[in-house]
Amino acid sequence: MELPKDLHYSKEHTWVRIENKTATVGITAFAQKELGEIVYVDLPNVNHNFNQDEVFGSVEAIKTVSDLFMPLSGKIIETNEHLLKEPTLVNSNPFDNGWMVKIEIEDLIETENLLTAEQYAQLNN
Amino acid sequence: MKIALFSDIHANLPALEAFFADVEKRNPDSIYCLGDLVGYNIWPNEVVNEIRKRRIPTIAGNYDFGIGRMSNECGCAYKTDAEKDNGNISISFTNSLMKDDERAYLRTLPAHIKVEFQLNEDKLNLLLVHGSPRKINEYLFEDREEKSMLRIMEQADADIMCFGHTHKPYHRVLNSGIDGQDHFRHAVNIGSVGKPKDNDIRGGYVMLTVDENSSVLNKESISVEFIRFDYDFEKAAKAVEDSPLPNEYAENLRRGY
Repeated sequence: MELPKDLHYSKEHTWVRIENKTATVGITAFAQKELGEIVYVDLPNVNHNFNQDEVFGSVEAIKTVSDLFMPLSGKIIETNEHLLKEPTLVNSNPFDNGWMVKIEIEDLIETENLLTAEQYAQLNN
Repeated sequence: MKIALFSDIHANLPALEAFFADVEKRNPDSIYCLGDLVGYNIWPNEVVNEIRKRRIPTIAGNYDFGIGRMSNECGCAYKTDAEKDNGNISISFTNSLMKDDERAYLRTLPAHIKVEFQLNEDKLNLLLVHGSPRKINEYLFEDREEKSMLRIMEQADADIMCFGHTHKPYHRVLNSGIDGQDHFRHAVNIGSVGKPKDNDIRGGYVMLTVDENSSVLNKESISVEFIRFDYDFEKAAKAVEDSPLPNEYAENLRRGY
């Protein structure tokens, strides 16, 4: 399954792309496949602060609803508004157009708690 | 105004006949069918025709949508490979049974029915869907978070939303009022006539009563009665066993799951 090497991953199936002090967050291809067709993504408001591992939203799929856990502490600076009209972007393109939020990272040291692509892959074998 | 609502017959003719016998005794003012007439048993054409000849307003379920289009996909969220294999047998068997005219009827069924009451100088919207207003095959189980359920109902402008699809009946009253003003919304899963999954083998449906005092301001002013009726489930189970359908579906009928 697709798992870009340049991203960080959390045990809760989110991925993080870090550029300077900004992190883009989404859910993995594995997570979207487990959930099935996604019908709604409930995302937080901009400027809201979250701690690492805190619930920041939820994904509503055909059969189930799943919480989203923040992989790094930080402040929401942008949400993917395309998901409001087209939530299945998360299914079709989880690592790119299906991104969910961008955050201003509070402390990069927290990336030590995240997984590499290899570690995440092993976890879900 | 007594409104009978039934769904998820799934080609179970003995259950449908018992439903009609029960509901006719109760003399409702209207009857609506919320879809999934076919699949999982041997009488899809007969079920379509019994509903059609009574001119019952009916919406499409996900199974009807698939069979109407001769699809090999029913929109059912099977979890395991075994469930998927059984599901494939059912959809292919149903496609092989379905006659042209009955299939065309399934294909043209509407997705939603909205009924607007005007009572107490206010409107009261009843919305009938199969799964949810946004997806024909979305499962709205009883444990759906209140915030999510309310958002779905608010976006659809539904004060009373009735649906099926999960085969597990419930009635939840949620308050979406603001600034101290109540606005009660009713989410009603009407259960299943022909394939109940709540460990009760009897068929199930709902009688909704709206009267001149019904209002979004008073949650007791709308009544929802869950009715169960006995039917010859052994006949329906035997029909499954005597057909190419997986025997698990017969066991499901005998266990109410």
